[in-house]
Amino acid sequence: MFRFDTYVPRNLRDALEASRIYGEELLPIAGGTDLMVLYRQGLVKFRMLLDLWPLRNSLSYVRLEEGLVKIGALTTIDVLESSELLKDKRFAGFRDACRKFASPFIKSVATVGGNIGAAHPLSDIAITLLTYDASVRLKSLESERVIPLKNFYLDKRKTIRKSDELITEVFFNEPPSNASSVFIKLDRRFGHGMGYAAVSVYAELDGELVEEVRIAFDSMGRAFPERALITEGFLKNRELSEDNISRAVYEVLPSEMRRISDYRASAEYRLYISQVLLKRALLEVSKRVRGE
Amino acid sequence: MSRVSTPRGYRDTYRDIEVSFKVNGREVRVKVKPYERLLDVLRNKLGLLSVKEGCGRGECGACVVIMNGKLIPTCLTLAVRAEGSEILTLEGIAPEGKLHAIQKALLDTYAMQCGFCFPGVIMASKYLLDKNPDPTEEEIKDALDGNLCRCGSYLRFIKAVKLASKYIKEGKVFFDESEVMR
Repeated sequence: MFRFDTYVPRNLRDALEASRIYGEELLPIAGGTDLMVLYRQGLVKFRMLLDLWPLRNSLSYVRLEEGLVKIGALTTIDVLESSELLKDKRFAGFRDACRKFASPFIKSVATVGGNIGAAHPLSDIAITLLTYDASVRLKSLESERVIPLKNFYLDKRKTIRKSDELITEVFFNEPPSNASSVFIKLDRRFGHGMGYAAVSVYAELDGELVEEVRIAFDSMGRAFPERALITEGFLKNRELSEDNISRAVYEVLPSEMRRISDYRASAEYRLYISQVLLKRALLEVSKRVRGE
Repeated sequence: MSRVSTPRGYRDTYRDIEVSFKVNGREVRVKVKPYERLLDVLRNKLGLLSVKEGCGRGECGACVVIMNGKLIPTCLTLAVRAEGSEILTLEGIAPEGKLHAIQKALLDTYAMQCGFCFPGVIMASKYLLDKNPDPTEEEIKDALDGNLCRCGSYLRFIKAVKLASKYIKEGKVFFDESEVMR
């Protein structure tokens, strides 16, 4: 295991200056629940870490402002889970995702920004945020840009973020009152490890008619979370009847989803599980919108 | 497990960072290296050997401590993060010569076999009971979800936490060692 230096910034500006000066040699670390594991396995190279922990006073929040729900990048999962805002049924998917996220001590250090920035397929919060059509705010020393989360990932562990930028916030439009969401992850143990497959469904329903639906899986073929756009298109403006759900799940989804086989599960099994999870999620979301 | 060790004849050129924090109510000031984990500092520099290294990757829960009122895995935490914080480890859970209700309950339920996971289990239980003095079985399972016990004493942990919650509700938080070890 190699050694490294750690830069402890005084404030965000200081942190951004350090990222500008050291560039690629410096990696930002938030909770460390992913990066420290990669480091100890020898899967990541860097000369320096930028410890973002001192910035959490200013970057840890969940709030509603001018019709936007804003979540600070250093909001830890337990803070997100206990926030008043997310007790609303419109954000039920976040509740599911936080509850099954991991063990309590991981929840108290893992952050929302880290979950997005890690660019790993099984990033539960990122999958949920995708279905809320969230955007990521990236700050650098003199500029700021907003990237839709769906365009944020380039590859596994690769994002559009440049080395002198930091994720400061993620935000999305406040959902209307006829909306709700569901997040389901299939795992061998409850809330432990990463799961075989995960799905998040967000829907706005008018009675049984689907006004808006967004579906995201941990992977659609590439190794990062993505939306199932064709399945969404099929379901939009249709009734959420048993027949339509079956067609979406058994006919449409397999046409766009490509799963991989690895030591944890085979591609066939993963596809089958994704179908089952999607079906469950669609049935559950309609219940939730009706307030059952 | 592989700690970052200094090979013979190699001079560590990384700077020392002075970190001061409170651990178990005692003010401490230690020099740490920027690559050091809190786990190594607590064990090797402060002699708090209750903090165990199990997996070293945040999966087993043997190294958890309560830092600023939050349960954290010290194996994934950089030592520099301790600056200005307040840390509670198993050593500080009860006054000298006493046992905490959770410790007593674990003994009463005969939960211990090898005991390696105990410091983590006790800290996680304390974290739960501090927030929620009367947890349901589901809540106990959730709270101890990250603590692996390879002897398989999980069911007894659940019993013990229920018993500890009963003790604490009765106002019996600390027990004399002599009273316990009959």
